[in-house]
Formats: sequence, C-alpha cells, structure tokens
Amino acid sequence: MTDIGFIATNAIVLACIYGTLAIGLSITWSSVGLINLAYGFIFALSGYGAWLAAQYVSTNGVLVLCAGVLTGAVGGVLVCALAFIPIHDKPNFTVRGLIATLAISLIGTQTLLWAFGPRSKNLPEIFGFWKINLGGVVLTSDKIGNVAVSIMVVTAVLLWMRSSRRGLEIRAMMMNPHAAAIVGIGVRKTGFYVMSITGGLAGLAAVLLSQTYYISPFGGLAPMIKGVSIALCGGLGSVRGAVIAAMVLGLNEALTSRLLGGQYVLITQFALIIVILLIRPRGIAGILDRAREA
Amino acid sequence: MSDSTWRNPLYLWDVEGAEEAIPANPHRDPQEVWTKTRQSKTPMLPVGRLRYYYKWPGHGGALWSRLRYWPTRRRVLEIRGEYNPKTLRREKTIVDKRPIWWALGLFAFMLGPLVMPGAYQNTLLAAGATFSIYAAINLCWMLILGTAGIYSLASYAVVGAAAFGVSWLSINLGLPWWLLPFAGAVIGLVFGVIIAIPAIRLDGFYYALLTIGLNELCRVYTLQSKQFGSSTGGLYGADTYIPQDWSSFDQSLLAYYACFVVLLLALALYRIVDGRRLGRILKMAPEKREAFAEATGVDYRRARVWVFVISSVGLGFIGGFYAAHYRGVSFSIFGFDTVLLGLAMLVIGGIGRAEGAVVGTAIVIFLDKVMISTGPLRLVLIGAIMLGVVLFLKGGLFGVKAQFRSWRDKKKSERRSMRSEKGGEMLPEEATETKNKDLLYWRRYDKMQRDFLKTLVTQEIIEEHRKQPLGQHSEPLERLLLYFRRAPQGDKYAITVVEPFKAYRIVAMSGQRGVAPRIVEDKIYASQNEAYHGVFMRRIQDLLES
Repeated sequence: MTDIGFIATNAIVLACIYGTLAIGLSITWSSVGLINLAYGFIFALSGYGAWLAAQYVSTNGVLVLCAGVLTGAVGGVLVCALAFIPIHDKPNFTVRGLIATLAISLIGTQTLLWAFGPRSKNLPEIFGFWKINLGGVVLTSDKIGNVAVSIMVVTAVLLWMRSSRRGLEIRAMMMNPHAAAIVGIGVRKTGFYVMSITGGLAGLAAVLLSQTYYISPFGGLAPMIKGVSIALCGGLGSVRGAVIAAMVLGLNEALTSRLLGGQYVLITQFALIIVILLIRPRGIAGILDRAREA
Repeated sequence: MSDSTWRNPLYLWDVEGAEEAIPANPHRDPQEVWTKTRQSKTPMLPVGRLRYYYKWPGHGGALWSRLRYWPTRRRVLEIRGEYNPKTLRREKTIVDKRPIWWALGLFAFMLGPLVMPGAYQNTLLAAGATFSIYAAINLCWMLILGTAGIYSLASYAVVGAAAFGVSWLSINLGLPWWLLPFAGAVIGLVFGVIIAIPAIRLDGFYYALLTIGLNELCRVYTLQSKQFGSSTGGLYGADTYIPQDWSSFDQSLLAYYACFVVLLLALALYRIVDGRRLGRILKMAPEKREAFAEATGVDYRRARVWVFVISSVGLGFIGGFYAAHYRGVSFSIFGFDTVLLGLAMLVIGGIGRAEGAVVGTAIVIFLDKVMISTGPLRLVLIGAIMLGVVLFLKGGLFGVKAQFRSWRDKKKSERRSMRSEKGGEMLPEEATETKNKDLLYWRRYDKMQRDFLKTLVTQEIIEEHRKQPLGQHSEPLERLLLYFRRAPQGDKYAITVVEPFKAYRIVAMSGQRGVAPRIVEDKIYASQNEAYHGVFMRRIQDLLES
C-alpha cells in the first residue's frame, strides 16, 4: 500500500512539473508557431541562474525561485530574438525555426558546459524540511511544495491569459495569427511576451525539479522530451489536453514501474503515445480544424 | 535676316495686318523628342547579366553517338547541342557540370592519403574514415529528410540499433564480420517498418518530436540494460574486417578505403532512389500538398513507406559496417548531440541535395575532429554556423547561388520600377484594366507631342498671337494652335458674347448636349481678339502645367 502511495505521489509531482513544461511548449507552438526545442537549454540555463543566486545572493527559497523564473524568461526572450524575430515572416518558417532552436540548444548547452564545467550542481531545499503522514503515505515538503507551486503558477498564468489585455492578444494569436495581425496585434511584441512567459514556466520547472535531480548542462534534455511527449499526446496548442495527457502519462509511469519495472517506463510511455497519436493524430484534445496550420 | 525670322507669305498680297517679317522661334525637329523617348535609359553593364557557358566544338559526324549508362538511356553528362546562329557551326554546351565536380572530388578523396603530411597521417586517415561513414549515414537520412520531406530525427537511432544488435550477435553468437552489415540491414528493415507506421498518420512536427523521443528511448534503454554493456560505456568486441597482424598504417589505410566504398554505395543508393521514379513521386507530394498528389493519382503513403524501408535498410547496413569498423559501438550514437551534429551537417550543406550532405559532413567533421583541442568551443562554433545558415540562407551552402540570383533579380526589378516614367502614360495596373488598348498608345504619343510643343512656347510666339489671333501664323504657332483646336469637346475653352462688340468672356464647354457651358473666369474682354488671346494664354498655361 505504502509503495503504491509513494509511486502515485511521485507520479503526481513529476506530472505537475512536466505538465508545466508541456503547457509552455504548447502555448509557444500555438501562438507564435515555433517548436521551441531550445526549451531544454532554457531549463538548464534557469537552473544555473537559480544556482548562481543561491550561491552569491541568498539561499532564501522565494528568491532562488524568482531568480530561476527570471533567468528562464530572459532565456525565452533570447530564443525569441534569435530564432523568431529574424525569420518569422520568411518562407519555410516552421522548419527553419525548429532547426534554429536546435542550433541555439547546441550552442547554449555547450556554452554552459564551457562556463560551468561538467559537474552537476544542486540547489538548496527551498521548501524546508518537514513531512506529513497522510493515511500511511508520507508527503515530504518538497513534494507538496512542488505540486502547490506549479499548480498555483500555471493557474495564475492561465487566469492572466483569460483576463488581461496581453492574454487576450496571446489568445487571439493562438486562434488566428493573420487575423490578429490585421486587427493590430503586433506579432513580434506578442512573440516576446509569449516566449518570456513560457521561458519563465521552464525556469519554474527547472527550480522545482532540481529539488529531486541535479542541475547539469545537459539536464534539460530529458525533461524537455517528457514535456514534448505530453504536449504531443495532449495535442500541441491545447492546455486542457496537456493537463489530461500529463495525468495519463503519470498514471502510466506509476503503473509500469509498479507492474513491470522501472526500465520499461519509457518503452510503455512511447508505445502509449504512438497508440494515442495513431488514433488521434493531433493528440487528445487537438481537434483537426482548431489546430494551428504552420 | 536671321534664322529665327518668319516671313509672312500673305504680305505680298496686301492682306490686312500682315507684317513682312516677324521674330519667331528657330526651327526644332519634332523627331528629337521621339528619339529621346524611344531610346533605352537602362545602363547596360557588360557583366553579370547572362550565364556564360563554354562552348565546346561539336563533331558533325558524331552527332548522335552519346555515352549512356548501360541499362538505362541516361547520359553521363547533360550536353546540349546546337548550331551557332551566326557561324552555323555545331556547338556543344555542358549544361550540368555537377557530375564533373563529383568525379573530381571523389578522385581527390581517393588520392588523399598520398599527399597527407606524415605528422597528421593517422588523424587524417581516421577523420577520413569517420567522414565517409557519417556522409553515408547522412545520405540515407537525406532521402527521408530531403526527398520525402519528413522530419525524422531517428536515423541515428536506426544506425545505433543495428550496430548494437550486430555487436551483440557477433559477441554472443560469433557472427563473422562479412555478415555484420547484412544482419544490420535486417535489423534496420524491422526498425524502419516500425518507425514508418506513425509517419503515415502523423504530421511533420508531431513526427519530428516523436522521433526525438524514440532516440532518447533507445539511449535510455541501452544505458540501463546489462547485455548492452551499461557498465563499459558501450558494446565492444565485435568481429572486425581489419586484420590485426597488419601494421597500424596499413590498417588505417584499409579502413579509409573500406569506408570510402561504403560512401560510394550510399551515393549510388541516393542516386537510385532520389533520381528515379520513387524520388519523383516523393518530391511531388511534400508536406501539405498530399491532397494534390493524391488527386493526380500518386500513392504517396506507399512511396513514403518504401523510402523509409529502403533508407532504413541502408542505415542498418551502415550500422553493421560501423560495428565491424569500430569493433563495437558506444551509447553516444543515441545522444541528442549526435542527432544535432548530424542535422547541422545536413543543414549547413543544404537539405535536399547529395552534395549538401557530403560537403556539410566534411565541414562539420573537420571542425569536430581536427579542432578537438578547443573543447566545447568547437561545438559552439558548429552551432553558430548552423544558426547563421538557418537564419540567412534558404538552401544551405549549395543554395547560395540560387539565392544570390533571386536577390539580384529582385534588386533589378526594383531599380527598373524606379526608372520607369509615369507622366502621361498609364500605370501597368491601369493598362491591364483598360478596354481600349489604343488609348495606351494614344497617351504615349500625346505625351511626346506635348513635350515637343512645350519647347515651342516663347515670348515671340505669344507676342505674335497677341497681335493677330486669327489668320496665317508662323510654323511653331501654327503647330500649337492645331494641337489646341484638336482637343476634345469636353472642357474646351470658348468665348461667349456678353454684349456684342463690347464685352466677351471665356467659358468652357461641358462636352454634353443640353448641358450649358460653365464660366471659367469673371474677366470681361473688350474685343473678340483679346478674348481669343485670353483663351490661347489659358491653353498655354494648361499645356505647360501638364
């Protein structure tokens, strides 16, 4: 019983963090039409940003978290300026954008390796040390903190997107970029907003995940692939789909590691994704006509 | 008596008011304006406007003898034969010189070991072998990425799976080296079919992201499993084709040429798939144009499965050879950086062409292997080149020529549109809308005529008209009056009598029957001749303003 509870809580925590990443990727794709494969680099960069803040400024949890989110936003703006602004109106933008973000990822991770060395760093425990026992399941502080913070921030971002003027602009871009441009919504300006927000989400996920794992130059790759799988499975551009997919994949991960063993997690996960995509090629929630056409 | 004096012929007949000679304009030829308008104002630069080809002499006797690939009717070089229209001599033009460059390049690569400096011989031979293997992999990948236009990033995963599979078979079952590529091809076939299934259903980016995931799956799986050597960083100990009792230099040389043969095989595969029916079908059914291809009767799904299977068999073969070459394989083949470097090779060279894959590989391998002492910086450099190519070039290095040409054409047409004169003539869009095309030519002629008439307006002419508005006039004035009188009725000036012999006033015709003329000015002229001269002055003003 306890190990099922352990696995389930683990799955929920990971699903929350990966879901945050997936929502960031999804919003980026549907509003600015860019597949941001430099997301892993932004993730690693914000981890290092948080580490620097913890090292040289203060180990206060809120400050470290804010430093990570800010570094992520800066990284997002950087990617936007390099890969979105110069080519977003050129022919073949989607493919070129994809390759450009891959190039940025190569440059960025190698620069991180060059600057910080291959040794991984760890962040201070930003949620403190405490635990609660909930009906035989022990919940540690970092788990509760991770889940609470990620749900809070994602909800805040979604509420902001629903209610604010900028959010309206972003949603208009998501629905129809050309029409949005016609009614006076600046593509480049909105691109910067979107990329900084999604970069901030990546930074948040980086700081939260570093409570469990370490920070390393290439550490962003695996979370990005998880996030991409969830975004794919939920349908690129759909927030609700990403949430559902995060839960489905989290459940699958928990079940597989309980029934088959940890090394089969990725295999069953990809089998599941392939099956879902074969049935619905645009993901769980992506309805064909609502999806962005490049 | 000077040139610019006009002698009135009516003077001799004692016509009232005729003076013997009055000052007038010197003669101007109306042809001048015509010639000036007709002549081209384009600065004709002597270079960069035509494509110059060397003209080889042709043999009349051997007109129809051509060198062809044996089983097909394809020619080795695309040669255009024609008769020079001036000299009537037979000439030959090599239209596509790429086969010559290929032959020269491959020949140079073959002769490379002869000229390598002794100190770097081992490094360069090893780098050459690596280059050949990676170029072969990239050529097979290019079939999917360029010819089929499917963004599959799992090609290195196929190579790695085949290499791991055959290494395991060789170590555990003792497979000999000459069987390894074929065993790899079988593994590649299975893998290719597996990755081809989602490719039929999924759109480009979904597929790209899925294949990144598959790559990571392979990496994590081999990293965790004991039989694939999770403790040793890879699976080593496979049988190799390099005899161990040879000297080290001979071994490197053998490896160099064996890899070169694999590269040649991959080039042949690329040529066969890309240049023939399958490639044509795939290239006419790229992403987002499937519906059109299907409507014209192309079974693009089948073609895509075929290209996946063929290129995966090729990749598997290369994977088996890879294991036999390096005596095993490490996990780094599944790494994200390997995929990124491979993609950098294709993107730098230019996606969709064989020379792009090979030259891009050469550049990246050179930077990666020869500058290995600079550490991570060399990968940063490769990434920066890749980013620059993506941001600024449309088709990689080998697309530079076409891109430059289109840019130059754009600039040319911009300048041409700046040069074109608009006055009096119709704008291009207006011209296409006009029903009466005669109007175009009439307006052009009218403009030239007005340009000429403007030069005739002088103080002398005006003075001559003031003295005598009616009757015989000098030649330039006569031309002006003829032009004015020929104007259409609408808005034509006329004079109306306010009080006979005392007051006249200028009006303008409406041009429509039943609509009264409108009054143009309040001025009252005392006599008919003054009013005539007033009309003339208004017309001259209109002419000079047009």
